[in-house]
Amino acid sequence: MSARIAQLSLFAVALLIGILLVAQLRSQARPTEISSLPAQELSQLIDTLSERNRELRTGLADLRETLREYRVAGSQGQSALEVSREDLRRITAFGGLAAVDGQGLVLEVEGQLDAIALNDLINELRNAAAEAIAVDDIRITHRSVAVQGPTSLVIDGVEVGTQFTISAIGDPDGLLNAMERPGGIIAQLEQFIQATIVARQSDDILVPATEADIQPTAAEAAIAE
Amino acid sequence: MSLSAVRRPRPSPRATWGITIAGALGIIGFVGAAQWNSSVERQAFTSSAQQVLADQVLELEAEQQQLREDIAEAEAEVRRIQEDATSSSAALAALNAQLEAARLAAGLTPVSGSGVVVEISDSNRIVPPGENPASYIVLVDDLRDIVTALWASGAEAIEIDGERLVASSSIYGVGASVLVNTSFLSPPFRIEAVGADGLLDRFQSHPAFTGRVAQRIEFFGLEYAAAATDGLELPAFVGTTRFRWGVPVAEVTP
Repeated sequence: MSARIAQLSLFAVALLIGILLVAQLRSQARPTEISSLPAQELSQLIDTLSERNRELRTGLADLRETLREYRVAGSQGQSALEVSREDLRRITAFGGLAAVDGQGLVLEVEGQLDAIALNDLINELRNAAAEAIAVDDIRITHRSVAVQGPTSLVIDGVEVGTQFTISAIGDPDGLLNAMERPGGIIAQLEQFIQATIVARQSDDILVPATEADIQPTAAEAAIAE
Repeated sequence: MSLSAVRRPRPSPRATWGITIAGALGIIGFVGAAQWNSSVERQAFTSSAQQVLADQVLELEAEQQQLREDIAEAEAEVRRIQEDATSSSAALAALNAQLEAARLAAGLTPVSGSGVVVEISDSNRIVPPGENPASYIVLVDDLRDIVTALWASGAEAIEIDGERLVASSSIYGVGASVLVNTSFLSPPFRIEAVGADGLLDRFQSHPAFTGRVAQRIEFFGLEYAAAATDGLELPAFVGTTRFRWGVPVAEVTP
């Protein structure tokens, strides 16, 4: 009888410890429920999501305009050809297969940036809604990443020296603010890495087409559902 | 008075067991109550101060979902029109073949193939006193390192939790939250990459992987698994591909 009581007691204790451990682990884990995020984080999320939604609305409006043009053209003849040409220009430029001309931000970089730092700079420009980016004459496609080569950084097989220029087409004010904000990427890199980064806005930037072959060979087009 | 009359009775082994377990239960109960109270307090604070902000986030996410569905639908309609027109003109057929190739290269077409699946999630270990809890969760840098290593190892297409990576994609951290393209993602993160044979070996031996994230997996116990897989299917990118601040410079023929 006493052995049974002891077993039951031990079971109860083990069960309670298990429950408490789970509760402890949950309380130290990242908050995955939106409502449990800190207020500051929620505010940042609202800003970011609002900006991204605004971009999506613009993109949707443009797409609907393309559709309207096709319908007007009756999907045949010279007009439809011109709409498709315009679509091709846009898609090749978006993917990095064609050059883009416009306004944006130029970063003059000098110093010992490692691959992580250069990739972080590129990511920050993308996050600030850069529409096309080049490092010197190397167009940054989705597959372009900086890696440490034998003697220097390398992107798409091309060496990048210790002094280089990053050109980004996009909202000049938005890009500049994102790069130069207190505690932002430039401040961080200049603090932790021996580098100087000078940002200037420009209304005459030419981002070239990629010279890399980015046509997939292992990945095949799948039929969309 | 006899000696036996003043000697205190020794507790039986059963009573000792009972006292020990009662003590343990008391401590557990105290800790449990503290845990429960802190949860209740946090819940109350959440409902009053943060709920308005959280509701806004959820509304924006719902709006975004609708926008993405509308964009995908409009894109599909554009492609249907282009495919229909192909049969009516040789010039259009040639042009639309170029369009298909460009879409495939840019990540605007769903793709299939063999490659690698990587899953990474927060550590299950209890954070030791004095250590930073952030070390035990997947950080945005971990995802960037994995993606960098995959691209550098020859991946041709990558998605994170259904978000296809394209030239404009950023992997962005907002506190402990991760945004990829326009989507708010949470762990476990599943990364799928299509690429030539040997992608897994190249990826796991690439310095972009071994240099930082592999060490965090080992030191902090981040949950990690990777496998070579056939028959992967990656979705197309859904989002805007328009230029607002630049003009494409391209000669298009025919």
